[in-house]
Amino acid sequence: MIRRQTPSGPAQALADALAAEYAAIFAYAPIGVRLTDAARTAARRAEAAHRARRDALVLQLSAAGDPAPADKAGYALPFPVTDAASALRLAVEVEERTAAFWRAALPHTTGADRNRALAALTDCAVRATRWRRTAGVNPVTVAFPGRPD
Amino acid sequence: MVLTCPVAKGRTRQHDRGPGHSRRNLLRVGALLALGGATGPLTGCDLFDGDEPDPAPDPLEPLAAEARELAARHRAALAADPGLTKTLTPIAEAHEAHAAELAKLFGRPASASSGTPSAGASAGGDRRATLTGLREAEQRGRESAAKLCAGAPAERAALLGSIAAARATHVEALK
Repeated sequence: MIRRQTPSGPAQALADALAAEYAAIFAYAPIGVRLTDAARTAARRAEAAHRARRDALVLQLSAAGDPAPADKAGYALPFPVTDAASALRLAVEVEERTAAFWRAALPHTTGADRNRALAALTDCAVRATRWRRTAGVNPVTVAFPGRPD
Repeated sequence: MVLTCPVAKGRTRQHDRGPGHSRRNLLRVGALLALGGATGPLTGCDLFDGDEPDPAPDPLEPLAAEARELAARHRAALAADPGLTKTLTPIAEAHEAHAAELAKLFGRPASASSGTPSAGASAGGDRRATLTGLREAEQRGRESAAKLCAGAPAERAALLGSIAAARATHVEALK
């Protein structure tokens, strides 16, 4: 008997979020290198948070019997990171982009899975706000975190 | 019905205005109403506009009201302390955008009972106390939005998630 699969939507949504987490972890390496002091510590913490989300997602997907996409050796950054300013700009962008993937997972999830997706979206949005403040970007908030423009 | 409406309406007006109306008058109004009820359905009659059954309130109406109230709180705080404009204006605008987006979902204009700032939100002019109060309100708002997101149908989950996340960022921005 073939096990009744959950619709391909949820699995795909979570697989997409996982790919976004891989890319975020990748991006935080060059970001951290260009930052110092408190900002560098914040980058390390952010990277650790994304690693934790990645690990939880891999577990979640494999527990459901869904394929987890593999990490890639490298990810194209939207612009080169050459100094602290571009590092902060990339950190904001990484959090905004990752937030969008978690937001997209919300309609495809229910119960504990949706709460996890919301917690991830919220964490990304809060980190984006912190990075904007560190970068001197104003305003530090957006009205609809994760919503495509 | 066409005939009974104006009569009944006149009576109520008198009833509302007159300090010396008698019990008999009230009874007469009652009799007219009973008559109206007997002649036909009264829907559409001015007298009953207030009593017409509204479409069932949307479960997100309280969230929209909360968004308007939060917006009003921020507006009141920045009116009292213009030095906070840079911080509070975008937050107030976000709440207003949330209320507008929710109203679109309800398919009708936002209710007239626009939020009024809670007393004491900014009265003292103590900036730290103001920010603490706003932060606590945002935190409560975040929790109510997150709760609604958890149980929402799929087509509403993303908007509610963004509202909950936005309120969390407001807590951060008010630090």
